[in-house]
Amino acid sequence: MGAALKVEWLKLRRSRISLITAVLVGIGVPALTAGFLAAATRGPADTPLAIKVNAMLVGEGWTAYLGMLAQILSVMSFLGVGFVVAWCFGREFTDHTITGLYALPTSLATIAAAKYVVLLAWSLALSLITLAAAFALAPFAGLPAPTTEALEPAAKVLAVGVNGAVLAYPLAFIASAARGYLPAVAGLILIVVVTQILTVLGVGAWVPYAATSLWAGMGGPAAAATIEPHHLALIPLTAAAGVASTLWWWRRMQVV
Amino acid sequence: MPVPECSQPDPVSGSPSGIGPVQMRPLHAVDPTPVRSTTDPGGGGLDASDLCRSFGVERAVDHVDLHVLPGQIHALVGLNGAGKTTLMRLLLGMLRPDRGSVAIFGHSVAGASSELWRRVGHMLDTAFGYPELTASENLRCAALLRGLPEATARTEMNTGISDLRLSRWAGCRTRTLSTGNRQRLGLACALIGEPDLLVLDEPTTALDPAGVVLVRTLLRAAAARGTAVLVSSHHLDEMARIADHITVMHRGRIVGALDPTGVDLERTFFDLVLTVDEADDRPVE
Repeated sequence: MGAALKVEWLKLRRSRISLITAVLVGIGVPALTAGFLAAATRGPADTPLAIKVNAMLVGEGWTAYLGMLAQILSVMSFLGVGFVVAWCFGREFTDHTITGLYALPTSLATIAAAKYVVLLAWSLALSLITLAAAFALAPFAGLPAPTTEALEPAAKVLAVGVNGAVLAYPLAFIASAARGYLPAVAGLILIVVVTQILTVLGVGAWVPYAATSLWAGMGGPAAAATIEPHHLALIPLTAAAGVASTLWWWRRMQVV
Repeated sequence: MPVPECSQPDPVSGSPSGIGPVQMRPLHAVDPTPVRSTTDPGGGGLDASDLCRSFGVERAVDHVDLHVLPGQIHALVGLNGAGKTTLMRLLLGMLRPDRGSVAIFGHSVAGASSELWRRVGHMLDTAFGYPELTASENLRCAALLRGLPEATARTEMNTGISDLRLSRWAGCRTRTLSTGNRQRLGLACALIGEPDLLVLDEPTTALDPAGVVLVRTLLRAAAARGTAVLVSSHHLDEMARIADHITVMHRGRIVGALDPTGVDLERTFFDLVLTVDEADDRPVE
């Protein structure tokens, strides 16, 4: 596993998509959040932007700021990491590098597992960077120095970031079985659309892709209160199903 | 936007890949004298028996028997679509046969151990090379995946860069390399660790004449060390220069053999192919 981890980490580190995603999510999302909060709290309250942003805010100060960050991150983490997962697995087929991974002492399943480990580490780092950037940008939103009141919403930001990341894991199976990253990107878009429809139909709590956003407060405090631990438990189960199916596929797939 | 091939001097001394200055090994330093016994210690090189594989109604490989002995270069020649690449994929476990079996050094390829694969080098379809990595990083990655420890991987990386004359491009991203240099890189990856079995699919297709001579020398040196070499090609003249055996494949079948020392191999080859086509009552395409 050690060799595969070194190789996969180098590939991810050198890829443009991981860099672009890290900047967009890690810097872009906190900057957007700080900008929204500043627009809502420091400018006129009757502008269309201020009205929309105020609807997203729960509480005041750091609670409101990090709460809004968690809502935006719950979607952006899934989208951003989803693109990276799709590329990480799908590129082996699109770039025709998969043939070189056969007939090696390092098995295909080990390489796939190494991809997941590297992606998990990268996703954790991305969530931490996002949170750190949010703290750094807080003065631009007019917030004072953080107090202990920021701890709980900060922990929620990290949890939501990791939830969104691991929910992208099943996309690796689509990229592998369909032999390319574009089918996985199509799967990503489909998941977002279906999640929206199911949430409107009122069953969002049971859809892991919606549950994490609802828990973050995207549907308002009332919807967040409906999310129970067993709803959130579906998130790691979905991720585990994605990992298991992908490893199974990489153990048996052929070059055709 | 097209990217010009990287032509910067090798800046790798201080690069993340960490390779040191590469000393070019002269061709004569690639020792062609045997250093291992040509009798394989673990079995008889590569053995395929009654291999069949179809895609839908098309039988891509049809009852193929093939034996590649240690210390010999075995050429597989055939027209486009003859089934050479499919056969090589079957031999390396990239495809599962509908029928028949493959053994490498006496061990079945189905469920082969990592120890067995450690002794195999290959280049099929596309040369190993991730575009975002430099040539030297790709070699190091290939060496690590071949199970070599970090220090040995770096040594093998330097050897591969030197042997395939890639020093000038060692620190360049692979996406900037020419097709020929990417093929050289793929060959360097296949040759890492002096494998006991080499399977190469058209290894000289994109190479310039100097590259062809280089590959010829390296394959001869590998065979002299006792490596069993299976190489596919369209180039009969080139195969005649290096091969100990030439097997002709057509329409998924082994249809005969050519004598590498014989004259007018091209005519003999087309006679074989035509005979098969007539027997199948199908005209040559």
